Amino acid sequence: MFDFALVEQVRIHDLRFAFGPTATLSPKLPFFGLPTIECAYGRSMADIETIAASVATLKDGFEEHRYICSDEIATAVFLAYQLRKPVLIEGPPGVGKTELAKTAAEMFSLPLVRLQCYEGLDESKAIYEWKYGKQLLYTQVLKEALDEVLQGAKGFAQSVTKLHEFGDIFFSEEFLEPRPLLKALREENGCVLLIDEIDKADHEFESLLLEILSDYQVSIPEIGTIKAAAEPPIVFLTSNNTREISDALKRRCLHLYIPFPDVEVESKIIGARVPDVPPELQRQLVEFIHELRNLDLKKLPAISETIDWARTLVLLHAESLEPQLVKDTLNVILKFQEDIDNVHSEVNSLTAKIAK
Amino acid sequence: MNAQTTDRTISNFIRALRNADVRVSTAETLDALSAVELVGYDDRDYLKRTLSLVLPKTADEKVTFDACFDQFFAFQDVRGEAEDALGESGDAEAQESEDGGDGEGGGAGGDRQAQPGGKRKKSKSKNKNNLFEEEEEEDLGPGDMTDPKSALGKLLMANSRVELAVQMSAAGEAVNIREIQIFTQKGLYARRIMDQMGLADLNQEIADLRQAPAVPARRLGQQLKARRDFLREQVRDYVEQQFLLNADVSGKRLREELLRKVKLSNVEHRNFRLIQEIVYKMAKKLSTLHSRRKKVFKRGQLNISRTLRNNMSYDGAIFNLHWKSVKVDRPKVFAICDVSGSVANYARFMLMFLYSLDEVMPKVRSFAFSSDLAEVTELFNRNKIEDAIAKTLRDYSGGSTDYGQALLDFKKLCLDDIDNRTTIIILGDARNNFGEAHAEVLKELYDRSKRVIWLNPEARLAWNTGDSEMRKYGAYSHQVEECNSLMHLERVVGNLLRQTN
Repeated sequence: MFDFALVEQVRIHDLRFAFGPTATLSPKLPFFGLPTIECAYGRSMADIETIAASVATLKDGFEEHRYICSDEIATAVFLAYQLRKPVLIEGPPGVGKTELAKTAAEMFSLPLVRLQCYEGLDESKAIYEWKYGKQLLYTQVLKEALDEVLQGAKGFAQSVTKLHEFGDIFFSEEFLEPRPLLKALREENGCVLLIDEIDKADHEFESLLLEILSDYQVSIPEIGTIKAAAEPPIVFLTSNNTREISDALKRRCLHLYIPFPDVEVESKIIGARVPDVPPELQRQLVEFIHELRNLDLKKLPAISETIDWARTLVLLHAESLEPQLVKDTLNVILKFQEDIDNVHSEVNSLTAKIAK
Repeated sequence: MNAQTTDRTISNFIRALRNADVRVSTAETLDALSAVELVGYDDRDYLKRTLSLVLPKTADEKVTFDACFDQFFAFQDVRGEAEDALGESGDAEAQESEDGGDGEGGGAGGDRQAQPGGKRKKSKSKNKNNLFEEEEEEDLGPGDMTDPKSALGKLLMANSRVELAVQMSAAGEAVNIREIQIFTQKGLYARRIMDQMGLADLNQEIADLRQAPAVPARRLGQQLKARRDFLREQVRDYVEQQFLLNADVSGKRLREELLRKVKLSNVEHRNFRLIQEIVYKMAKKLSTLHSRRKKVFKRGQLNISRTLRNNMSYDGAIFNLHWKSVKVDRPKVFAICDVSGSVANYARFMLMFLYSLDEVMPKVRSFAFSSDLAEVTELFNRNKIEDAIAKTLRDYSGGSTDYGQALLDFKKLCLDDIDNRTTIIILGDARNNFGEAHAEVLKELYDRSKRVIWLNPEARLAWNTGDSEMRKYGAYSHQVEECNSLMHLERVVGNLLRQTN
């Protein structure tokens, strides 16, 4: 197992040389494993450049990965890549904020490092932690070795001086447990870093992020500053706006607001995500959802709900939106009993309206 | 020079944004510049999308940004058909460089293409020197129309609206358009901008062309004349915008400043919207100030379990101590508002204020009364703030004020919910129509709650005169305040947040 991983790493490493920016074929190539894997890894660097070359190519790239995006979103990713700036994504829940980061990672074939925020999240869970267990174990094991080290030392002062010569071995990278943020910085080929629901984290945590967001580095008191590898991560932060994000953080980010999509885009999304929906039903259900969004509801149905609903309807072999069918499946799109009750009485008029 | 023009346009735009209350920092300005460098000015929508990612940082600011951008970069196409025109001018460009390689005109044209907006002055002087020579080349030139010679003429024929806008704002900058203060100056500034953009040269060229023998040249003269008139209109619009962006705002500031201090009962109906905006703004300020959940550390009391747990990794050696800390709850506020005629307006703004603070004060319960008291919390949860307030005032403002009855009702309704973390705010003038005051009820509330704050919209001098029961009620309040303007309101709520946090 271990050996295999090592071999794999070596292979990837060499291939990066083989498929450098010039992409000349190396005669060494036949010696290395499966051609399919080589392609996937060897092409990735050049791929990112071509995909992120313009807004249009990015948009196509996203569409290839079944993520239909507006020009705003594509522009945001374009600027994020070109200017090396993090993107703060806001918008109502379920419009595909997290999905955007995931798709971007997939599209660029970069690893996705995800940090889910919650109340009480701190640096030991987000950036790094010392491997206390390992430190403890090593101190126990090395107790015997201590005599050798201290051999010949007379008195307390001399012993301490001798010990000092060995430096802070217990606070070196060996004993460092990297958490998502540090992991993201250490990715050689760059990665997509997703800091999800930043608004759930404490106010103090935002300040912790500032260094990594503006300079792509973290400072660890015992070791020093760790900078990002050659290729800094592409950072996405998402927020549901349950509280105001601090100005300092916002200042360092591009700000992308994803609203609910218009009918056209949403139809495209449904087409991409649930291809089995009959076109007539697709039109009707998207229009129905848009009608719902005009009502005063506690929680408006988002894209994720539209997709779920489309899947449900396909499962039920529906051909068009019948009032009874809608009433039976309302609980897929509305998540509050109060909302369901309110809409229930209006289903007939709504379906009549969109049937035209 | 081109970079400078860009810089200035962007920084002017940012100035306008700041005027419109979008906060833009210097770092963001730099970001905007590098983004624009990447994106360019060619595609207006693209530029808008880009800047809207970099500059505004909330959904509200984006709306403001959109309006600002449209106003600032609004520029009609010279002929109303941008794409075609661009293609054509590209063709013309190609032709020009093909057949006029040795002439100054071709060189100047190439110059224009390579560095849009730049070298205006230089090429102008060139034109003057070589006017005659170029005329000759022009006559020989193929195509329906000859190429314009003056810098402004070229600009007009180039049909790039953004380019024209950039030039115009550069000219505006040169004549200090931002200094414009009163509307009578508009004509003056429009004239100055036209002059700055090279109107004199253009007029000269038009006059020359109209006398030219060749048809294409005369046709160009006509075109240029039409476009000059169009440009004049554009400049007038531009000055108008600048006037709105720069002059009007200071007026608005002044008005806001006044409205903060004016007595709320005197606010005219037409200013309600503005007041609402101010209330939201003030509430926003307070919530950002207090949105940090503060922890009060009780140093001296060891949190033993936490200390042990956290020091397990050090082999049980306790060197990382943890102290007991108290997380302070958000204030629990009960607002009781007199909504009878005399106080209704104050109640309106106080409720608006309290509910705008829901981010830092999620637990507001509100009650309205004139003779009988009822809870209106649900109304506020379900409706928009303005609607809820309107409904409250409509439903409860009839009847003569009876504070005694209202207090009794309140006691019956929710005495049990009042604990030592509750703050009760009562807004009213304490004019009880000589009815029973029931101050003992207030005493009971006073004893149970954390704080009772009585806000009286009347001036202190008028308290305790006539049927005012302020003395009785004041005895059982922790704090009695005169509160009749937004400034007072802000101070009271600010204190409330500070003390409970």
